[in-house]
Amino acid sequence: MRTMQTEVLVIGGGATGAGVGQDLALRGFQCVLVEKRDLTHGTTGRYHGLLHSGGRYVVKDPKAAEECIEENRILRRIMPHCLEDTGGFFVATPWDDPAFGDKFMAGCQATGVPCEEISIAQMLREEPLLNPQISRCFRVPDGSADSFLATQCVGESARLHGAHILTYHEVKHLLRQGDKVIGAVCHDLVHDEDVTIYADMTVNASGAWAGQIAGTIGVEVRVMAGKGTMVAINHRVLNTVVNRCKMPADGDIIVPIHTVAVIGTTDVRVPDPEHFAIEPWEVQHMLDEGEKLIPGLKNMRMLRAWAGVRPLYQETAVADTRDVTRAYTLLDHEKRDGVSGFITITGGKWTTYRQMAQVTVDRVCEKLNTQRECRTAEEVLPHLPGFEPHHQYHTLGARLARAEAEKGFGELICECELATKQDVERAIVQGQAKTIDDVRRDVRLGMGPCQGGFCTLRVAGMWHSLKQTPVETTNVTLRDFLQERWKGLMPVLWGSQLKQERLDELIYLSVLNVDHLPGEKASRLGPKMYEPGTEMTQPHG
Amino acid sequence: MSNILIIGAGLAGLVAGWQAAASSTRRVRILSKGWGATHWHSGCIDVLGYYPLSNEQPVEVPLERLRLLIANEPHHPYALTGLEKIAEALTALQTLCQAAAYPLHGSLEQNWLIPTAAGALRPTCLAPQTMSAGDGRSTAPMLIVGFADTVDFYPHLIAANLTQQGIPAQGLLLEMPALQARHFNYPMTLARLMEQSDFRAEMVQRLKKQLAASPALDKAERLGFPAVLGLDNAAAIHQELEEKLGRRVFEIPGLPPSVAGIRLHHILLKAIRQAGGEVYDGLEVVRAECADDRLMQVVTENAGRPRPHRADQFVLATGGILGGGIVTDYAGRGREVVFNLPITLPHSRLDWFKQDFLDPGGHPIYQSGIRVNHIFQPVNGENQPIYPNLYAAGTTLAHAEAIRERSFEGIALTTGYTVGQLVISNYLAQGGNRGQPH
Repeated sequence: MRTMQTEVLVIGGGATGAGVGQDLALRGFQCVLVEKRDLTHGTTGRYHGLLHSGGRYVVKDPKAAEECIEENRILRRIMPHCLEDTGGFFVATPWDDPAFGDKFMAGCQATGVPCEEISIAQMLREEPLLNPQISRCFRVPDGSADSFLATQCVGESARLHGAHILTYHEVKHLLRQGDKVIGAVCHDLVHDEDVTIYADMTVNASGAWAGQIAGTIGVEVRVMAGKGTMVAINHRVLNTVVNRCKMPADGDIIVPIHTVAVIGTTDVRVPDPEHFAIEPWEVQHMLDEGEKLIPGLKNMRMLRAWAGVRPLYQETAVADTRDVTRAYTLLDHEKRDGVSGFITITGGKWTTYRQMAQVTVDRVCEKLNTQRECRTAEEVLPHLPGFEPHHQYHTLGARLARAEAEKGFGELICECELATKQDVERAIVQGQAKTIDDVRRDVRLGMGPCQGGFCTLRVAGMWHSLKQTPVETTNVTLRDFLQERWKGLMPVLWGSQLKQERLDELIYLSVLNVDHLPGEKASRLGPKMYEPGTEMTQPHG
Repeated sequence: MSNILIIGAGLAGLVAGWQAAASSTRRVRILSKGWGATHWHSGCIDVLGYYPLSNEQPVEVPLERLRLLIANEPHHPYALTGLEKIAEALTALQTLCQAAAYPLHGSLEQNWLIPTAAGALRPTCLAPQTMSAGDGRSTAPMLIVGFADTVDFYPHLIAANLTQQGIPAQGLLLEMPALQARHFNYPMTLARLMEQSDFRAEMVQRLKKQLAASPALDKAERLGFPAVLGLDNAAAIHQELEEKLGRRVFEIPGLPPSVAGIRLHHILLKAIRQAGGEVYDGLEVVRAECADDRLMQVVTENAGRPRPHRADQFVLATGGILGGGIVTDYAGRGREVVFNLPITLPHSRLDWFKQDFLDPGGHPIYQSGIRVNHIFQPVNGENQPIYPNLYAAGTTLAHAEAIRERSFEGIALTTGYTVGQLVISNYLAQGGNRGQPH
């Protein structure tokens, strides 16, 4: 068994964990971050990509709203290349109470979220597909964020400042010595071996999994998993984030991100962050609600669906997950449970990840008796290696402009998402991809309409030449990737997308016969599937 | 006015049109929205590659397993055509391709094992002459040759997988100046370049230089290329390369568009036109009109206005879910798009899919399709023909998992062939000699 020694061990490679790792590294701490799959594999990589203005929470959860607008301004400064300044609307449809608009305005004023009411004519000029029966529209500084890229960049900053990031390292259990946590035993999934990491402090930043991690040493942390299902529409039907102007509910937001638009979300409490289904009723509900914002949406082609689990922290049990605060919580287990060397940060939202990291590392300083200033609000994030830093908001078309300017323009591996041969090579070699799915998160390969139909073979061909590993490992990562794409396709397969999927079957089974290539059918690095859906209609009660 | 009107120009529609046109002087017309699966598939004719589906081993003798399938699955399209017609259809296509100087080799007595662009071996019944030297039942060493500045073909991956399966193979990427100068080198670009003798001469010269420089590569007894060795002169180009390189040469099917499939499409189009048939693409049939329970005409969506097309007999060959002949919606409903025929469909959308993409049994939704009687007339719940003058052929038919069985082209070919002949003989039997001969 390998062993490692560090000052601070961070558990979790989502936005929060990566943010904690970066903050620690910037303040000069030695740190190791472990993530059981790739960075953003958990909830960070499975949300709609909203950069909150705070507008969603001004009425219901003013504290969360204040955190959001404060961080919104900071993130625009430190990661412009990961954000798109779409702006946001809150609109009152015929199904919503127009009087809520006044409460909304008042809430925005109280929490400092900039907001102006605009005319319906103006709204329709900007977003002609919106329902013309909308009666009120408020403009707020929402945006959209590439949460994969942002977290990769945060991780890159952490690495540049000395942090060690170990992906595909799953925590088996924490190490407890008396009343102190002294590290954790992890399993390295790639090499299939255990690694013990000793640390002076251990930070549990594992989001919805925080309860499971703390549970390994008998500390109870009650984090509810609030499942949110999202559906991506094959077209970017809007250029502005559009929210319903009402109390947050299911299917009340559409976020334009890259080439698509995402409808979100449901909120269903699930007992286990690992095992849950995307139920057909959830998808249908998203479409029915989306139809109220954009008439005709139901008949559009859906690309994919996914579900993430919000970490909702509550000291006492609550029945409805929507009533749980979206603000974050820092648990000092020394004070709370008499266990030193261990703190948990959970709850919160992607937009507030930096602030969560800041208060966490402030507490680490306190525990380690040192005073070091947080610098993450000033430090502009680096871009990924091989990318020119664009100190501007990312815009749709920027990638096309970049690809067109490249010598190898014609060598597109993924036509849907404009991933070039150079991009993929960089992701495999410099990005140290462990699976084709890691390449996807890095360069968005396979995320377009054909969902890997053409690029999967191409990336496998490159993988084999660049990795120089036994060919069975290429075959299995190819099959794993097809299965990973299948995972998010299944809930939205009807109409054109079903036809498209059948073409992918024709290519991979009939023409290429990949199901009969040598090697394992699936590997331990392959996708964890959602449970099969069982409910066509929403259960009551 | 046509006597026979066929909707769809995939393999089934083209074969039906060819047979109908060739076996009578009646007026045969094919209308299609666009070209069909010939442009996507491997360019081989798969008849039965895996059966029973749970069996990982490829079918060696299709004839034997077809007997089993026909006995097990009385509603399968092959059970409706019968063994005799399957064999006849294969022979007819072979004869046609032979006459077009593009021989297809094989028979129901044995399957080929043709290497794919992933390096797997695909069982198939008929393979073009340009592919047959790649047969995986021989272990003669191979060199897989790809081209730099292209993105669809990875010779080292293919070679490694073939080696793993007992066929010694090496990979080589050849640099060609003509490709460096171009963006977007897709299969059709390569096929058109291959039609040029200058390009071929340069390729041969560069390849020979590589072979001479490396004893390891020089050991190869056969040379595998992506399936882009020419478009309409493929067999001649293939032969020329074999002569100049002094070794057997074979093509390897890969990502669409399929040049080898397009060759078959061209051969069939030519055969139909020579037999007096007509093929129109860009005409999407959107609905049908009938009188006294008999189909009178179909209507196409055109620029300007919808246009009616009258006919005596109709053949539906629009493909299933893949071809667009059947569309589904999020409520779990399915619809046949032209005649609104009843289709088989799993009861609930919950039952459409299996958890594994590569599930050997396939996903139940893809067995959806049109139910037909023994003469391929779509039937209702009481097994009565819906229209006396409507037939269906190809992968729009229910009760087959064409991709898992590796019967995709076989079903299209054999049902298209059978229906093309049936529609004529039934028409004549119904007194169809009143139609206008052309």
